[in-house]
Amino acid sequence: MAHAYEAKTAVGRIVNEIEETAIAVLLGLMTIITFINVVLRYGFNTGLIWGLEAVTFLFAWLVLFGVSYTVKVTAQLGVDALINLFSPATRRILALVAGAVCIAYAALVLKGAWDYWAPFAGLDATSGRWFPTGFENSRDQAWYEVIDIPFPEWLRWIEPIMNEGESYEKLPRFIPYAMLPFGVALLLFRFVQAFVRVWIGEANSLIVSHEAEDDVKDVAHMNAGN
Amino acid sequence: MEVVVLFTMVIGLMLIGVPIAISLGTSSIIFLLVLSDTSLASIAQTLFQAMAGHYTLLAIPFFILASSFMSTGGVARRIIRFSIALVGHLPGGLAIAGVFACMLFAALSGSSPATVVAIGSIVIVGMREVGYTKDFAAGVIAVAGTLGILIPPSIVMVVYASATDVSVGRMFLAGVIPGLLAGTMLMVTIYIIARVRNLPKGEWKGWGEVRSSGFEAGWGLFLIVIILGGIYGGIFTPTEAAAVAAVYAFLISTLVYRDMGPLHVAGEGKNLALWSKPHALLTIFFHKDTRNTLFEAGKLTVTLMFIIANALILKHVLTDEQIPQQISAAMLNAGFGPVMFLVIVNVILLIGGQFMEPSGLLVIVAPLVFPIAIELGIDPIHLGIIMVVNMEIGMITPPVGLNLFVTSGVANMPMMNVVRAALPFLAVLFVFLIMVTYIPAISTWLPTMMMGPEIIVR
Repeated sequence: MAHAYEAKTAVGRIVNEIEETAIAVLLGLMTIITFINVVLRYGFNTGLIWGLEAVTFLFAWLVLFGVSYTVKVTAQLGVDALINLFSPATRRILALVAGAVCIAYAALVLKGAWDYWAPFAGLDATSGRWFPTGFENSRDQAWYEVIDIPFPEWLRWIEPIMNEGESYEKLPRFIPYAMLPFGVALLLFRFVQAFVRVWIGEANSLIVSHEAEDDVKDVAHMNAGN
Repeated sequence: MEVVVLFTMVIGLMLIGVPIAISLGTSSIIFLLVLSDTSLASIAQTLFQAMAGHYTLLAIPFFILASSFMSTGGVARRIIRFSIALVGHLPGGLAIAGVFACMLFAALSGSSPATVVAIGSIVIVGMREVGYTKDFAAGVIAVAGTLGILIPPSIVMVVYASATDVSVGRMFLAGVIPGLLAGTMLMVTIYIIARVRNLPKGEWKGWGEVRSSGFEAGWGLFLIVIILGGIYGGIFTPTEAAAVAAVYAFLISTLVYRDMGPLHVAGEGKNLALWSKPHALLTIFFHKDTRNTLFEAGKLTVTLMFIIANALILKHVLTDEQIPQQISAAMLNAGFGPVMFLVIVNVILLIGGQFMEPSGLLVIVAPLVFPIAIELGIDPIHLGIIMVVNMEIGMITPPVGLNLFVTSGVANMPMMNVVRAALPFLAVLFVFLIMVTYIPAISTWLPTMMMGPEIIVR
C-alpha cells in the first residue's frame, strides 16, 4: 500500500479516511452476513431471511458509493494504447474531451437516479427527456417496501413524516435506493474535479490501463538494474 | 447499421481515454434516448439492479477478497517453495516451477495480472540468480500468468456465466482440464528448451522438503477444495463458496501464516504465536491490515463492477434492438457455419483482449455472440472456454497485451524484450487455442460427466 492516495488538506485526509473505511466496511459486512447465513443453515438449520437481500443492497451501495472514490484516485480502467502515441499537448486536449464526456454521463445518470428515487421518497421526479425542465407531479410511492428486510424499530419516527402515519412492516424502498442519487451526485462532483485537475495541468489522464498498476510499482524495485 | 454506429462510438470514446465504463454507459444512454422510449430513470434502475439484482455477480467481490487475503498473506512465497521442491530438480526446473506456481496461484485468484505480480515478482528474481536470462524468466511468467483467468475460480468465468445465464459451477469445471492441459504444454515446452539449451537445474532436496513445503502451502491450497468441493458437493452456491473462501483466506493469513495482522512481526523476526497474544482473536477484525485488504479488494470490485454495470446497459440496448438476432440472421444467410463463426469470434476477442480488461470485454461480446452460437449449435460452455482462452492470448499478444505491460513493469525491462521472450510460449498457446476451439470435448467432457448434459441448447 505504498502508493495509497495522499490528501493535501486535513479535511481531505478525513474525507479520504471515511471513504476508504466505508468501502472496507461495506465489503466486510457483505462477507460476514453471507458467511453467517451459511453457518446458520448448516449449524442451526435456520437462517437470516433478510440476509440475501441485505447483501445485494450492500453490494449496490459498495459500487455506487465507491465509484466516485475510484475517480478521485484515478483508478478507473481505460485504454491508453492510443493516447500514449500523441504529444502531451494533444493528450491534454483529448483528456479534456474525455472529462467532458464523463461529466455529461454523470449528469444524465444523476437526472435518471433522481427521477427513479424521488417518487419512493414522496418527492417529485423531473420532467424532460434529456435535461430536467421542471418538476412533474409524481405519484407518492413512499409506501413501497423492500421484500425481506424488516423495518427497524428505532426508525418508527419517520412514519408520520414519510408515510402519513401508516406503519411500515418492511424497510421502505427509499432508504436502500437513496445511495443511487447520492452516489451518482458524488460521481458527478469527482468528475468535475478530475476535469479541473487536467485543466490546470495537475493530471494528464482520467484512467489507468490495468488493475495491478500500483502493485507493479511496489515490486518493480526487486528487478531493478541488470 | 445502428449497431456499427453504437460500437464505433464505444470504441472511439475508449481510444481517446474515456474510462471503459463511461464509454459503454454514455454510448448506450445516448442510443436509448434517441432510438427508444426508455427513460433515464429506467437506465438508473438498470445500474442499481446490476448489483442488487444479480445474485451470480455477487461472487465477484468475495473471490477478489479471498485472493487479496491470499496475496498479502504470503501464500505466493509458500506456493513457490512447494513448486520448487516438487519440480525444481528437472532441467529448466525453476522455470517449470514458475509455471506450476502460476497454475496453483491461479486456482486461488481469479485474475491474470494479479498472478503475474504475485508469482513473477519473486520467481523472476530467483531465476536470474541461478543463471537464467531475465528475458527467458519474464517470458515464462508473462505467459503462465494468463492461466489466472482459465483455471477456476475465475472472475471472467463468473462474468460470462452471469451474462449468458449458464451455470457458474459448470464453467469452473470446464476450465479444469484446459487449464491443466495448457500448463502441461508450457512445462513440456520449457523442458525441451532446457534440454536443448542446457539450462540450469536445481538439486532434489528430498521428499522431506516436498512434504514440509507442501504442508505449509497446503493451508492456502485447501481453499481450492473449499471452493470446488463446496460447489460440486452441493454444499454451497458459488456465491456462498466465494464468501466462505474469503473468510477462510482471512483466518489463514492472519492466524496461520501470520504475515499480516496483529500477530505479524515486521522484518526478520518470527511472527507471534496465538497463545502469546490471545486477544488477537478479536483484534484481527479491526487490525489495520484487515481494513486495508478489505479496502483494496473493495476498490477493485468497484472498478470491475462499474464496468460490468454499464455493460449491462449496453446489453439492454442490444436486446432492445434485437441486434444479435440480426447479426446471426445475416451470418446464416451468408452461409457461415460454426467453424467460420468461431474464427470470427477468435479474431474479435484477440484484438479486443489486447486493449481491454477481460471481464469488461466479455460482458460486451458475450451477449452479442451467445445467441448466434446457440443458433449454430455450439455448446455454451465450450464457447465460454474459447472466449476465455482467446482473452488469455490477447493479453500476451503484441503490441499492447496487458500481461506484457504488467510483466515489463514487474521485471523492469522494455516491453519489446518481454514480447520477444514470450513468443515461443505464445506459439504454444496458439496451438492450445486451436485445440480448444475444435475439440469441444476438452472443455465439455468434465462438466458433462459430473453434472449431466448441458441444458441450454437450441
